Amino acid sequence: MRIACLLAADLPLAAVLRAQPELAGLPLAIVSGVGPRAQVIAISAEAARAGVRPTFSVVHARSICPALRVRVASPALERAACETLLDVARSLSPRVAAAPRCSGVYAAEAAVYLDASGVGLLFRSEEGFAAALTTRACTAGIPAVVAVASSRGVSLLAARCIARDLQGAQDARSAAEQFQAAGEKSAYEAQGAGTVLVLVPAEEATFLDPLPIDLLDPEDVLAEALTRFGIRRVGELTRLPRRSLVTRLGPGVLRLLALAHGEEDTVPLPGAAETRVEEGVDLEWPIENLEPLSFILRGLLARLAERLELRSLVCGDLDLELRLEGGGRDTRRVAVSAPNGDPRTLLGVLRLALEHPLPRAPVEGIALATEGRPVRTDQLDLFHPAGPTPSALGRTLAELEALCGSERVGAPLLVDDPHPDAFAQSPFALPRSAPKTALRPGVAIAALRALRPPVPAAVRAPRGRPEWIRSAVANGPIVGLAGPWRTTGGWWSPERRFAFDSFDARTGDGNVIRLRFDLMHCVWQVDAIYD
Amino acid sequence: MPPPRPISPVPVDASRLERLLRDLRPQVRRGALPALPPPRCPTGISAIDGLLGGGFPCGHLSEVAGATSSGRTALALGLLAETTRAGQVAAVVDAADAFDAASAVAAGVTLERVLWVRAPHVRAALRSVERLLEARGFPLILVDLVGREDRDARSPTVWSRLARAAAGAQTALVLLAGRRLAGTSAELALEMQPRRACFVGMPALLEELEVQAVLARTRSGLCGAAGRAASVRLHVLGSAA
Repeated sequence: MRIACLLAADLPLAAVLRAQPELAGLPLAIVSGVGPRAQVIAISAEAARAGVRPTFSVVHARSICPALRVRVASPALERAACETLLDVARSLSPRVAAAPRCSGVYAAEAAVYLDASGVGLLFRSEEGFAAALTTRACTAGIPAVVAVASSRGVSLLAARCIARDLQGAQDARSAAEQFQAAGEKSAYEAQGAGTVLVLVPAEEATFLDPLPIDLLDPEDVLAEALTRFGIRRVGELTRLPRRSLVTRLGPGVLRLLALAHGEEDTVPLPGAAETRVEEGVDLEWPIENLEPLSFILRGLLARLAERLELRSLVCGDLDLELRLEGGGRDTRRVAVSAPNGDPRTLLGVLRLALEHPLPRAPVEGIALATEGRPVRTDQLDLFHPAGPTPSALGRTLAELEALCGSERVGAPLLVDDPHPDAFAQSPFALPRSAPKTALRPGVAIAALRALRPPVPAAVRAPRGRPEWIRSAVANGPIVGLAGPWRTTGGWWSPERRFAFDSFDARTGDGNVIRLRFDLMHCVWQVDAIYD
Repeated sequence: MPPPRPISPVPVDASRLERLLRDLRPQVRRGALPALPPPRCPTGISAIDGLLGGGFPCGHLSEVAGATSSGRTALALGLLAETTRAGQVAAVVDAADAFDAASAVAAGVTLERVLWVRAPHVRAALRSVERLLEARGFPLILVDLVGREDRDARSPTVWSRLARAAAGAQTALVLLAGRRLAGTSAELALEMQPRRACFVGMPALLEELEVQAVLARTRSGLCGAAGRAASVRLHVLGSAA
């Protein structure tokens, strides 16, 4: 059995950099709260090089590095980053399980286990699989390391080992730079630490033996007892008799032994394919205007689309929840009739939804969720012309809905309603079937142009037959007339009841119109023009 | 080893070359692609198609202008019917909100192949057209601006930009309006004029409209000189139907 462990060693930092990639390469500190006394909990390599360390207060850190950028740790961003790590893993293996979050020294790490059995057939080797995994994680904005071993425990230990070596290499590089800056010869060499490690089963014991016992993340009391006993390496622990260890150190040591012996070898089970994806952000300052809010939404949508792309899905309807200043919440469901993964288009739809009505208070936090939909596919036919591609059509429909409104875009429908003003639209989709042979009239047909709403008219009609009209579309004496034809309906409902007498009329100014007398309201209207 | 001799071009005997070309003249041609006329979207109305040389040209902006009851909409529905009958999809950007599904079906349009965009104003209509042209794959886009000929609709910049986009998308972009709006950006312009409405019988029924189409502008000489006209009779299904 082969298990891969995908490990993000510094999740708070990775989560912030994923949301704000413009901060990459700058000295950055993630702090536990707002205010000058808040504690630094994670730092970027540049901040470490400047001398900032975790546990410093913000004031202390800024006194050492004035250019330090400070961001408050966001649970919403970390949650989204964890989910992204799972999405990355799911994009390469169906058997995936999230590791429980640790406390203490490893509280900042997030790990995911994957079933790596047989991946060599797809990726040539397990190293290739691990490299593909790290590449995808980096593309998704989360730098991570991967270790492949025969159990969950050993793969986690190996991944922690790589992360520690990478950190050590960074420290060595920063120390080397400091030495070189001081004009001294460096005693450090940049270590060529990689981001993947594959352990074959025969080498696992040899690999684990020299590792420090801290990598097993023992509880404080147990760690103290082990130190007192002089046990500092994993190999020293595994060589001791199990029964004696439990007698002296309690049952807590069994977990460490299971990890060190690679006994946690359960394979992650394939989970149900979840299609709901959520992204969120807690803002440091409330936002009052739509423009800066759009800027934040654009980032959220881009990250949402990236995660859905890992699942080969695109955005469906959007659920937007705004946390407002003062404790209120504004929840909206924004319909996306044509699923698509273009953040620019989706932003247009969201903006339209936010403009009417505007949020009633400044926004302090945003949560955006969507139900992933499969990408629309189309099988082209050699003998029929190809229309727009499904993806281009989806994007265009969403843009048109953002421009004109969702109820104003679609395919026209013939409605089963006797009311002359009735019309309807259905969602437009590329027809999959061959075109039906429509009834072809033998002659050219005069068409009607509907007037929506009907235009009121002043009509002189002695004995009920119109003779003269004044309206916005036709004026003058009526020189030709046919009708009336009575249309009635909706008799069961006082609100929907209607009765019209319709006429075809040619007016003195040359227009041919359809004129009607509304028997319910006793008014004349022009409801269509022959054209 | 002797040094290599420089390579000199073989002298061409001009008189021999001319003699050779003369002998081969029927077989030798200067290489060039034949100039094909652009594909056309027919209207299904033979008089109009004859006037236009087969229909409205794909990849160009064309406009149909005319007064009320001059047959502009009948022409547009004919275009839609022929396009959808060929298995293609078409878009109607309707700033006038005047599309009548029953008339379309009577004209032979397959409604499920028509994307109807009811633009709330001219600016949204023009932007919608641009988006549709960007999407590609719509061989016909009808823009109905009848009664909405405001300042945005008269901007020559907009029409030249849309004409270029139509050329890129190989789409027949057809504009319906009360008067000509696109100016020199239009490949061809058709002006429709109402002639008479025919009421027959007792009680009277509106039987047909007679209209005249005048080719007011054509940029290519393929479909004949401007100024030619054709008379069309449009049968009315009418309220009685």
